[in-house]
Amino acid sequence: MSALLSVTRNELRALVRQRTALAGIVLMVALTITATVVSLHHMAAAAEHRTRQQAEAQAAFDAQPDRHPHRVVHYGHFVYRLPSALAAFDPGVDPFTGSSMFLEGHRQNTANFGDVMQSSILTRFGQLTPAFVLQILAPLVLIFLGHGLLAQERERGTLRQLMLQGASRRAIVGGKLLALLIIAAAFLLPAALGLGWLAVGAPASALVALGVLAGYALYLAAWCLVITAVSALLPRRRDALLGMIGGWAVVALLVPRIAPDVAYTAFALPDRLQTEVGIARDLRAMGDSHDPADPYFAGFRQRVLDQYGVARIEDLPVNYKGLLAVEGERLTSTLFNRYAEHSAHIQHEQNALVSRFALLSPVIAIRQLSMAAAATDLRAHLRFMDQAEQHRYGLVQQLNQMQADAVSYADDTASDAGADQRKRVDRAQWQEIPTFHYTPQPPDGVLRSLLWPLLSLLGWALAGALLIGGSIRRLGGVR
Amino acid sequence: MNLWRYELRMMLRSRVAAAALVLLSLLALASLVAGVQRMDSQREAIARISALHAEDLAAVSAGHGDSTDAGRAAYYSFHPTWNPPSPLAFAAVGMRDVAPYILRVRALGLEAQIHDGDTFNPELALAGRFDFAFLLTFLLPLFVIALMHDIRSAETETGRERMLRSLPLRMGRLYARRATVRMAALWICAGLPFLVVALQQQVAASQILAVLGLAAGYLLFWAGLCLLVAWRGWNSGVNAATLASLWVVIALVGPALANVGIERAIPVEQGAGIARAQREAVNGAWDIPREDTMRRFYAAYPEWRDSPPLGTDFHYKWYLAFHQNGDDAVAPLVAGYRQGIEQRTAAASALGWLLPPVGMQVALTGMADTDMQAHRAYQDRVRDYHAQLRRYFYGFLFTDTPFHEPDYDKAPRFDADS
Repeated sequence: MSALLSVTRNELRALVRQRTALAGIVLMVALTITATVVSLHHMAAAAEHRTRQQAEAQAAFDAQPDRHPHRVVHYGHFVYRLPSALAAFDPGVDPFTGSSMFLEGHRQNTANFGDVMQSSILTRFGQLTPAFVLQILAPLVLIFLGHGLLAQERERGTLRQLMLQGASRRAIVGGKLLALLIIAAAFLLPAALGLGWLAVGAPASALVALGVLAGYALYLAAWCLVITAVSALLPRRRDALLGMIGGWAVVALLVPRIAPDVAYTAFALPDRLQTEVGIARDLRAMGDSHDPADPYFAGFRQRVLDQYGVARIEDLPVNYKGLLAVEGERLTSTLFNRYAEHSAHIQHEQNALVSRFALLSPVIAIRQLSMAAAATDLRAHLRFMDQAEQHRYGLVQQLNQMQADAVSYADDTASDAGADQRKRVDRAQWQEIPTFHYTPQPPDGVLRSLLWPLLSLLGWALAGALLIGGSIRRLGGVR
Repeated sequence: MNLWRYELRMMLRSRVAAAALVLLSLLALASLVAGVQRMDSQREAIARISALHAEDLAAVSAGHGDSTDAGRAAYYSFHPTWNPPSPLAFAAVGMRDVAPYILRVRALGLEAQIHDGDTFNPELALAGRFDFAFLLTFLLPLFVIALMHDIRSAETETGRERMLRSLPLRMGRLYARRATVRMAALWICAGLPFLVVALQQQVAASQILAVLGLAAGYLLFWAGLCLLVAWRGWNSGVNAATLASLWVVIALVGPALANVGIERAIPVEQGAGIARAQREAVNGAWDIPREDTMRRFYAAYPEWRDSPPLGTDFHYKWYLAFHQNGDDAVAPLVAGYRQGIEQRTAAASALGWLLPPVGMQVALTGMADTDMQAHRAYQDRVRDYHAQLRRYFYGFLFTDTPFHEPDYDKAPRFDADS
């Protein structure tokens, strides 16, 4: 054990003495700190901006004058997606999805104004976030620092000296590995502190933060294991370096881009035009609320009349137009939900296919783990869309019901000069409408979604350990 | 000539170099095929429009029945617009995987429609596309580094350089020849697949030449960097590590840092504010005297001012007028929003002169019409078309001309090339 530690100590001392290596370490740590600070600041600003917008939208909604409830259905409401507690660590799809959504009757809108639509092309180069630094850059720097761990000793012939001094092969390889692991831990430290800071702000996510930290630790450990093993296996230092940079390019750049293309081709996602025309088609098949002879709505009218025991719409104690609006919205919403579920299902299938590429690249696994933990993945986005739709439906139906109860049918169908005023309901009503609150996935659900990527990363770490085992045996070839 | 052939043979004899060249050609081909597939699927989606639109329009015009109200038609009929990919778009997908390329509009307020997106899986968009632009920008430099980092150190490390020095030949020329052969090989391995696919996709010759020229220029930049480092006389390992670090800084860290800087320096008032302001302006019309709305509308569009005055009944010309007023009310906000985005885009383009990878992406997406400007230009075409649509329906509404079913088909159609 003491031999192992002394190898580690010597290795670290050598790395610190070597100016390029020291510069690499310092730069990397500086970059992680910068990324963490910048990202914390960016997300705090985004959160502040969206909270303010949400408050302004709510104030505008509450301040509406007396209005016909159906006007308010069209006036609609805006909801904003607030960044999750850990979004600063990994913004995930946040820049790509819109952060605001307009809710109105009869229509389901898209989330608009994502960062990617209002920034320069640079957004597509990758954003400076702790996740980007740790997932993409850290492995590369570890390769720079670690490719020569054993290859260099062998090239210089010092490996033999070490062995002659009584250090076991296991101690030599283990000691070098430990040195690399310590450096990796130094890279992880600023992000870990940042995560801790975020977790303090949201204690419920402390376990999740721990899970994501474990994921990154496994991820970097897997890289360290593979790097050390390759350094022990390849005869020349330069071959080790070039081979590993090539491997990194494949694993970190190529596979993460090819996998989505495969998923995109395998599962075609209907575009908005197809969806909207499809919904309109299905709606026509159901019935037309404007057509008095339409069988579906004739049946509906009869049911309503029977329920109240009257013969004419005019005799109903409630406003039939309001009831009709409630029924119409119910029908369209059923379709909206059906189509949205279909689209979500396809997108999940696409992502499931991508996650299978984790066998080829641990970057896929860590990315999915990281986004799931930060609640910035597709699942979280669809969850927001789903809750926004539920809120939209509740809001519109409450207003339709208000039209049925608070506006008389006679007033609603009148068109004399004073009719407009009589149709309006009191402005105090608007404050009765509940506000939108997004409920994030509870932590245990998030933790469960971390399980698979964690196992996959564990698999990578084990594979690295096996490789190291093999390399220790091969190291014996040097005698 | 013989000397050149020797260099070529020497390069191909190295297993690493030969494998790298084969790999580069294969990756180039794969990236091109992926790009072509993506653009084909977008063309298919655009080809589907006419059938879908015909179905939808038939239903809307059938629902029109005996009505003569053009306002009803304006309210219920959607009109498709689309942004077809340019022939070169397969090489640089750019913004086309996140920006909508099909958008339906109706003659109501445009600001509530033009910012809508299409359905896409954001996790798939996140990593970016594996297209030819990506191959050139990010992967090609790594191949350059692999082939060039030891251009001199390989000779010194094997002890051959001392021997070569003793011979009556100019060392500079030898290395220049070697560098040229290697660069040309890389250029051909990446460029030839592109040439074949580009010809098949009927890309204009000038654009093909421009892309090949850009690729050559970009290669030269990285080759120059490699030679600079190689001449420091370090060993191959140090060269490789130095060059790879430079690549990380220039291609990954630099652009990411610059992005932070640009977003800080040029704040863009979030577009969601526009949507809200427009909604207030539009819906507020129900709470003010209708004559105020019409006065404002006629002041801006005097060509309709001779229209008969409003009665007590609902009239769609008032409805469309306040939608138009709503758009006009937020025009300054829209201009500011647009200007902010353009400034950010311009800043990124300027940065391209400093960071060649950024310049490469800017140039390629610019040529392929897949950049932000191209998307803005599409939005401008949508705006023009929307103005035509409005004029068409206003023509009926403000003169009380009856609108019949056949008039649906006479509505202006979007022309993607205008």
